Amino acid sequence: MLPYIARRLLWSVFLLLVITFLTYLIFYKLPSADPALLRAGRQPTPELVASIRETLGLDKPWYTQYFLYMQKLVLHFDFGESFQNNVKVRDELFDRLPATMSLALGGAVVWLVAGIGIGIISAVFRGTLLDRFAMTGALIAISAPVYWLGLVSIYLFSRDLGVIAPIFDATGLYIPPQENPIQWADKLLLPWLVLATAYAAVYARFLRSNLVEVLGEDYIRTARAKGLGERRVIFRHGVRSAVTPIVTLFGIDIGVLFGGAILTETVFNIPGVGRLAFDSIQKSDLPIVQGTVLIASLAIVLANLVVDIAYAFIDPRVRY
Amino acid sequence: MRRLKMSWLLTALLVALALVAAGCGGDDGEESGGKKGTPVTGGGKVAEGKQGGDVTFLAAGDIDYADPGQTYYTFGFMVAGATHKTLYSFSPESPEKAIPDLAEGEPEISDDNKSVTVTLRKGVKFSPPVNREVQAKDVKYAFERSFTANVPSGYATSYFSELEGAPTEPGKYQEIPGLVVDPADPYKLTLKLTKPVAPRVVAAMVMPITAPVPQEYAEKFDKKSPSTYDQYVVATGPYMIKNDAEGKLVGRKPGKRVEMIRNPNWKKDAIDDFRPAFLNSITIEEGNDDLTVASRRTLRGQQLMCCDAGQPPIPILRQALTKFKDQLGRTSGGGTRWIAMNSTEKPFDDVNVRKAVIAGFDRDSLRLTRGGAEVGPIANHWLPPGIPGHDESGGLEGDPKFDFMKNPKGDLALAAEYFKKAGFKSGKYEGKEKILTIATNADPGKQTAAVAQAQFEKLGFKLNFRSVPQDTLYTKFCGVPKAKVVICPNVGWFKDFTDPESMLQPTFSGDAIKEQGNVNWTQLKVPEIDQAMRDGALIPVGDERNQKWAEINKMIVDQAPGIPFSWDDSFSLVSKDLKGVINVYSTTWDLSFTSLK
Amino acid sequence: MSTGAPVDLSHAAEASLEAGDASERTITARSPLQLFWRRLRRDKVAMTALFFIAFLVLIALLAPLIVKIAGTPGISVPDREALDEFGLPSGPTAELFPPKLGDHPLGVDQIGRDVFSRTVYGARVSLLVAFVATGLALFIGVTLGLVAGYFRGWADAILSRVMDVMLAFPVLLLALGLGAACSLSPCLGGIIQPGLPVVIFVIALATWPYFARIIRGQVLSLREKEFVEAAKSLGASDFRIIFREILPNLIAPIIVYTTLLIPTNILFEAALSFLGVGVQAPTPSWGAMIAEATGIFDTAWWFMFFPGLALLFTVLAFNLVGDGLQDALNPRSSK
Repeated sequence: MLPYIARRLLWSVFLLLVITFLTYLIFYKLPSADPALLRAGRQPTPELVASIRETLGLDKPWYTQYFLYMQKLVLHFDFGESFQNNVKVRDELFDRLPATMSLALGGAVVWLVAGIGIGIISAVFRGTLLDRFAMTGALIAISAPVYWLGLVSIYLFSRDLGVIAPIFDATGLYIPPQENPIQWADKLLLPWLVLATAYAAVYARFLRSNLVEVLGEDYIRTARAKGLGERRVIFRHGVRSAVTPIVTLFGIDIGVLFGGAILTETVFNIPGVGRLAFDSIQKSDLPIVQGTVLIASLAIVLANLVVDIAYAFIDPRVRY
Repeated sequence: MRRLKMSWLLTALLVALALVAAGCGGDDGEESGGKKGTPVTGGGKVAEGKQGGDVTFLAAGDIDYADPGQTYYTFGFMVAGATHKTLYSFSPESPEKAIPDLAEGEPEISDDNKSVTVTLRKGVKFSPPVNREVQAKDVKYAFERSFTANVPSGYATSYFSELEGAPTEPGKYQEIPGLVVDPADPYKLTLKLTKPVAPRVVAAMVMPITAPVPQEYAEKFDKKSPSTYDQYVVATGPYMIKNDAEGKLVGRKPGKRVEMIRNPNWKKDAIDDFRPAFLNSITIEEGNDDLTVASRRTLRGQQLMCCDAGQPPIPILRQALTKFKDQLGRTSGGGTRWIAMNSTEKPFDDVNVRKAVIAGFDRDSLRLTRGGAEVGPIANHWLPPGIPGHDESGGLEGDPKFDFMKNPKGDLALAAEYFKKAGFKSGKYEGKEKILTIATNADPGKQTAAVAQAQFEKLGFKLNFRSVPQDTLYTKFCGVPKAKVVICPNVGWFKDFTDPESMLQPTFSGDAIKEQGNVNWTQLKVPEIDQAMRDGALIPVGDERNQKWAEINKMIVDQAPGIPFSWDDSFSLVSKDLKGVINVYSTTWDLSFTSLK
Repeated sequence: MSTGAPVDLSHAAEASLEAGDASERTITARSPLQLFWRRLRRDKVAMTALFFIAFLVLIALLAPLIVKIAGTPGISVPDREALDEFGLPSGPTAELFPPKLGDHPLGVDQIGRDVFSRTVYGARVSLLVAFVATGLALFIGVTLGLVAGYFRGWADAILSRVMDVMLAFPVLLLALGLGAACSLSPCLGGIIQPGLPVVIFVIALATWPYFARIIRGQVLSLREKEFVEAAKSLGASDFRIIFREILPNLIAPIIVYTTLLIPTNILFEAALSFLGVGVQAPTPSWGAMIAEATGIFDTAWWFMFFPGLALLFTVLAFNLVGDGLQDALNPRSSK
């Protein structure tokens, strides 16, 4: 078991290295704003621009810049400074992470509850109107773009605008839970619901089909024949086996979201990592772009790692 | 566009000057501007207000620098105006003429215009932790540090390069011999110049570069590359950014907030400061990327101010103009927005084609994308209202002899005539090639560019149209002649100070074309115009200068370098319980004059 | 995939398991293809969705004609009259009773362009990207997956690692970066032109690992089956085995995953356009239209709403067809 974990860990580190390298290549080649010129003012002399370029280290070849960057990162956990305003990238990232994590975790709670709940109900009441209604709803939920759903819900239900009912606070921003937990939740409520919609639908469908399959298995029939109560059959036996693949899916989904739900954050004005990534790509602020991609990849890789190891515990065949 | 170029500041003050002059006359500085735009919301006297109050300013972006030697955007200027005393300043009570701020009185200019002497006020103190009195050596150091590589100032070399001994390239710190502190009087500073440009140097003394910086405290920060003084700035104005015992700006979290509190060492009466400083604190809350939301919060909330962009989003602007007039502050933006045509590339290397385009363009639609007629007049030449030379150039309508400028809604028949003159018999452009056009992807410039595209196509052009982020637009494409961009629909120029030269020279002189950061987007290079500009630079301030530059302006119009379409105003919002006072220099709220109602 | 549309793996997981068995079991009865068609035809919902898609394709192809019939102005013609003196757009002029279209049945956008025309034309971009990008991803993914799964060894080692890297990369960020980088000047030595080709390339690049990994897994198990061994012992070349024995058994999962990927890619393209990377103006794309509407949707809801609705229906239709196909392929339906 241990060698397996060690191998996966090593591979994950290597993956991250490759990703930083690729990121550097891609975004370095990006023909975007020239950071030296941006800082140089309105009518810079060529000497001024050259001087700033040297200060920022932009006159070196890209592989040197990459090497220096990695050196700082690995030895000092220093992600560098923003090209725009000299902020430490690490500070920026950690400042923004709580918002993204709040969004992702809150949304996750909602979609797990909703998705699994609806999935179970649909499977148990398979074929009824309730089932069809739920599954149709789920299908529609998957088909709508999340930012459109966000805009429509703001238009219909926000306190500012709410054409139908002014219920939710949709002004964005982010209040840390330790500062004011009620406001924290209040501001995130609508984003949670919108973010969770599509995921809940996927999980509901997934769980439903898995559960239906499992409930058709022989051992379920045996359990029923033995006289076990239906609820016990469904939950103790059915759901337990049907839920395992969902765990995998969940791990990966959360991993991806921790890297920043760009679309949701943009629509709801939440200052998270995703939004930061997007803005910095726009401004060609390479150190921040690198940082955000790294965080996002780290989240994905970690999530995959955790899921794989969990699976290895459950299914010994998997360890190769 | 989130950040405003600081040249607006100076331009703005001239524009405000025009507003005051044209509108209500100098009512002993009580109410400035009474017509459509008022720099004081809700009316009332500028310098009157209730003491106290803590206000939040909602902004999308951050100030560029807290370091007065480096800041060059409007937003940074707003903060600098409240936290630093510069040698001279524009007060809302006297928007047309700079008054002595850190200086005690008017500057002494030598007859040969090569020397300027300023005497500092006594009793001005630096904020904690420096705590000592400001002296001339601190202004001297402020200048010297901005010529170094660690503190690159965007305009030190533009406006102060004539200081004797000033470095031509940013490098290590060195004393500038042209800056002389009087050995007998530690408050007296003389600037010795190599050329007779004293009037322009004096005009530039309103800029934050003249805010004093204590060398013994700052030099350790300035030794770092880049300088970290930005995180340790000390203040001389009524407000300061909150700091700790070492001077570190704890009130500044880049990208998050800037907290300004009262400067305990600033005593209004002791130094006879013109600022009332009513508010107790001002906190800039950043990260409000969605300005619509921020604007709405401001209009409906309390003790809020907005925004750090030139105007709030158009739907909000419309609401404000109709329903929330008392909460809207406006001042002339002091600049021209236009569409540049590259005169070195086909098909715009033919002046007749350029004239045809201007003649046929519906410039009113372009202005509509920025809010329509309410926002400002259509630009018909290159010196906006308020800039000396504007009236001499024909005022708002311009000179009637330019037939292609006459109809802002577009005159297709006239356009056809010019096309024919250029050899296109059909009266429209006949070329098949796709013309490289780089536009911004940010509102409202994006819409302007889209409307422009449709208009160009109506005239027969086919565009290779690309949208890029604003910063990329200026630094990689339109500002780089090598990129060979033919049409730049989102350019604008807001000059650095109230002077026609800085409005016309950087954008239309062949001498000003640069490889990078070029703002002569048309790449106009006409020897007569260039020589006229060199001659005009030497004429001292006055009617003769204005006349000469108005002529140059007309020469440029005749070259049809681009399609000017707007001389628009700058708008800001406050909530109902605030009396907002606009500083026409920064074109946004004056934090030292705004108060609770 | 972080494109805002999580991939639905529910049916796919089963169908892939069944596909191989189905072909063996039904050799003596009707051909699997015939059975498949019968089942599909009986599924009314899927057939309706299929017709809707055909209808959409028709609309996309005939867009200019439709706009002409409706009498609305073209896609890049700003109508000055439809904007008020502040430049704010006017709303839908279409009415139900009595039914009339009016000048601008679905209103105009921020600079006065007709929303109806642009929504109709927007179908072109969405469908084009959906089909071409998915097709490209399919082609690359299947090829590489086959190679990796069948030949194993170092080819597999390298390709698997490449897939791992691609899958660990935050997809949307990668697409944003590449899209922005290639939007201005052609990438890959002029092959990838700015505009639509960039979007297609980026989406294909981001999604091929998804196919490849699955196909590789399939091939890994298929190559152990008896019929492959039989073919080998008869002296068949690798090439023949791949094309004659393995590929036919991959058709079912290929179809299944393609139908899952198409709607995801439609949403992916819309997301890229929403974030500003994608087709360039004035070509209308539903995602870009929604993005343009975000600043003003509180007073002008129509040009945020209708393109989004179009997206919803299109993606829904594809999802329904996808569901139907999966059910038709997998006889042990869980319905």
